[in-house]
Amino acid sequence: MSEPLLEVNGLSKSFDGVVAVENVSFSLHPSETLGIVGESGSGKTTLARCILRAIDPDEGSVLFNGNNGWHQLHNMTEKELIPLRQEMQMVFQDPFSSLNPRMTVQEILEEPLIIHGIGTRSLRRESVLDILSRVQLEQDALTRYPHAFSGGQRQRIGIARALILKPKLVVCDESVSALDVSVQAQIINLLEDLQQELGLTYLFVAHDLSVVHHICDRILVMHQGRVVEQGPVETVFTDPREDYTRLLLSAIPSPDPDIPLQPLDRQMLGL
Amino acid sequence: MSDPVPEDNVLSIRDLAVDFKTDIGMTHALHDVSFDVPRGKVTAIVGESGSGKSVTANCIMRLIQPPGKIVSGKIDFAPIRTDGYDIVALSNRDPRLLDLRGDLISMVFQEPMTALSPVYTVGNQVAEAILCHRNVSRQEAWQEAADMLTRVGIGDVSRRIHQYPFEFSGGMRQRVVIAMALVCQPELLICDEPTTALDVTIQAEILTLIRDLQQEFSNSVLFITHDLGVVAQLADQVVVMYQGRVLEIGTVRQVLKDPLHPYTRGLLAAIPGLVQKGSRLETIASVVGDADLETPYPLTHMADGRQVSLSPTLLREAGHE
Repeated sequence: MSEPLLEVNGLSKSFDGVVAVENVSFSLHPSETLGIVGESGSGKTTLARCILRAIDPDEGSVLFNGNNGWHQLHNMTEKELIPLRQEMQMVFQDPFSSLNPRMTVQEILEEPLIIHGIGTRSLRRESVLDILSRVQLEQDALTRYPHAFSGGQRQRIGIARALILKPKLVVCDESVSALDVSVQAQIINLLEDLQQELGLTYLFVAHDLSVVHHICDRILVMHQGRVVEQGPVETVFTDPREDYTRLLLSAIPSPDPDIPLQPLDRQMLGL
Repeated sequence: MSDPVPEDNVLSIRDLAVDFKTDIGMTHALHDVSFDVPRGKVTAIVGESGSGKSVTANCIMRLIQPPGKIVSGKIDFAPIRTDGYDIVALSNRDPRLLDLRGDLISMVFQEPMTALSPVYTVGNQVAEAILCHRNVSRQEAWQEAADMLTRVGIGDVSRRIHQYPFEFSGGMRQRVVIAMALVCQPELLICDEPTTALDVTIQAEILTLIRDLQQEFSNSVLFITHDLGVVAQLADQVVVMYQGRVLEIGTVRQVLKDPLHPYTRGLLAAIPGLVQKGSRLETIASVVGDADLETPYPLTHMADGRQVSLSPTLLREAGHE
């Protein structure tokens, strides 16, 4: 087995005494897609943010295998983290609030390169055009503002912004859940194509289990801040070991009218 | 194939058209929408954003505000408690509108926090619905509100009834909204994406609740959603909408198991989980191919009672004479 890209050990985070994430450990290998699923309040977004150091974890370690060796993300200062930010990027849920309405697409995509001092003006322009064609947007998009785009197109812009720095790790926080099902299918296909082309590693936070089933290799099931089950996605879906996972799976309404919805009872499971 | 007997339908929408005046001209939000809502059954309207499903619901409640306007069509409403009428034809001051909204027809919205007032207790808000429409004392209204809140699964009602919406979780709030909607025993309940903002486990609880209550009160439900899984679990009848038009109408099995319209097939194919893992998801474009989605073909009645809007060529392929 290759060396992992990310190792998380005993990560915990509380907000004003309320435990959001408790003692979470896992590792993530290059070119893998790891799904983090759970209900709202289960701590999945907090976990993702702690890993990227968007917020600071209380305890535990986050080790990242960057371009020049291992880094202890949990111990680094903001300043030390800046160069590493190129290697780990995030795609957000809401394609409306995550793009600055007063910047053109050209400015939005170029900004990360400027911040990291990469390339000359013309080289940056080249990168912008390259990433734009990878997310299948037309060149004339560059001079337009986010409001001129549909939700799916905005999500493509958000993906392009995350990928322009050529990151190794991309955290997708509910990146397809605000989209219509047909657009969602396009974005999922795009994420999978880009992973193949660029060798990306995804941490995929989602509450939609069918999306996770489709896109992920392994999943972590979170409940009340803890990981209750983890494993290859096929195993967890077909043979869940934990009651909480069974509860989640039983709640998915099947689009086949002959498969009736029979959700398990939370109280009866004692959850 | 003759039209169904009108008495069987609580609502018959015919050729409904709605325009919105915008800076860049008229947007046709609905064109010639026609379908029936059978009494005592669950009818689902399914479609993506912009398909006109919520606009249709707002027309039924007469909630279309300028710059939107109902330009033509009719909505024949046939309640049991009172004489029927065309909802579109009512003037804005017609007293029947007050009975229509909240008494004969009520609505459950997507976001329970915005549907509830943050400054009144939930008991107050459920009782208000009764006091608006029934000639009962305050005490009786509160008693009825308490009964209804119990019925929708809110435990410890004597304490909870005095609490404010912020003290409830998302799923519990949606139960309160459902109690408000059902407390006057409406003849038609409209649910506009009532579970979209909820977790899948809570969604399952709310869907089960709506299904049980529908069977208990045998009221008619118009359920608006973009989720075909929800449609499959709840609906008897399905109306597929796209860009303000109806593309296909049929029973839930007809539409989901044997869709006639390429767009419906596309919607189904785009759901992850139905396809082999690792394979690419179909998108609407890849399924629909060069089938014409833009021309508004009329709805054609098919032999098995369903209706579909297809080009003449596709209609022949679908076995229409």
